[in-house]
Amino acid sequence: MKRTFLARRNALLSATRISWGIIALAFAILMLLTRLLAPNLFLHAFTPAFRIANTIAAKSHTFFASFGDTAALAVRNEQLAGENAALATENQALLEKEAGLNRLMGSSGSQKIAASAILAGVVARPPESPYDTLVVAAGSSAGVTLGMEAFGEGGVPLGVVSSVTADFSRVTLFSAPHMITHGWIGHAGLPLSILGAGAGALQASLSRSADVVVGDTVFAPGPGMLPIGSVVRIDSDPSSPGITLLIKPKVNPFSLTWVELLDVGAALRNVFSVATSTP
Amino acid sequence: MIKNGILTVSTFVSAVLFPWPLTALLALVASFFEPLVPLAAGLFADTLYYAPQAGALPTFTLYGLLLSIIAVLVRGQLRASIMR
Repeated sequence: MKRTFLARRNALLSATRISWGIIALAFAILMLLTRLLAPNLFLHAFTPAFRIANTIAAKSHTFFASFGDTAALAVRNEQLAGENAALATENQALLEKEAGLNRLMGSSGSQKIAASAILAGVVARPPESPYDTLVVAAGSSAGVTLGMEAFGEGGVPLGVVSSVTADFSRVTLFSAPHMITHGWIGHAGLPLSILGAGAGALQASLSRSADVVVGDTVFAPGPGMLPIGSVVRIDSDPSSPGITLLIKPKVNPFSLTWVELLDVGAALRNVFSVATSTP
Repeated sequence: MIKNGILTVSTFVSAVLFPWPLTALLALVASFFEPLVPLAAGLFADTLYYAPQAGALPTFTLYGLLLSIIAVLVRGQLRASIMR
């Protein structure tokens, strides 16, 4: 008697071939376990790949920018050169003013704060990381601790250190979804809650009566009131009692190459304790 | 078979090197041939970039899981239709 055997078929895995999906899932789980069990090793392994990604992003940006309108780019370049010269002059005047104040008041608190800053290179940035997080090449061995604040060029606050390994840290940007930062807007210092909108954008809601216009600067707390962005659009719905502000960050997180990490709270406490202590 | 392998590997390489929309597109295309690839790619992307403070949920894993479930259901329906 002839017997027929029917192989049991599985949509995902069959005896005749191994599914690429199964291999991919096994690899992803292996990587997840590596990150959970040895996060420092994981980031060391992926750092070269992140660096290649950064290079590709920079090259592609240059390539696509070359298709832009040359005349418009020249005008923009001239305008930026003018703004740069004006800012350099203003910066020089402020430095002289700061030096004068330091001479009057002795050693400044800002110098003490700057001394504790840790300079860290950016390994991965938002174009590759969808959560608006930065992976930076400085960890607990360099003195980085949870809660430190990250600053970009010009001392612009960017985000907060959310996890630390021996040689790397992750900085959650203020623009990350669900990230809430309490700050101020305008020279009047109107308080507001800044909500991360993802992809480097920020937004905030205020009452309709608030005196806010496009171009107003938004500040975040740090060593003083620090500008983090400016209002680029105000959405006003007649049926709503409030307005929504769309805020553009001062520093473009997509082109960051380094950040300064600073324990603002601890540094400020030290400054205040020195300033208020009596001999 | 080789096509499936190339698509799967490309999705993973894209998760590291290229912006996430390209990765999502590759995962969508790969799901027609390998239903588990979107889930694997989402898990891999979250392994690389997810930080608990950034959002309440690992979005990419969840979207990958959803896409994989849809892909399995659609493939099941298509096979059932062919058998009729």
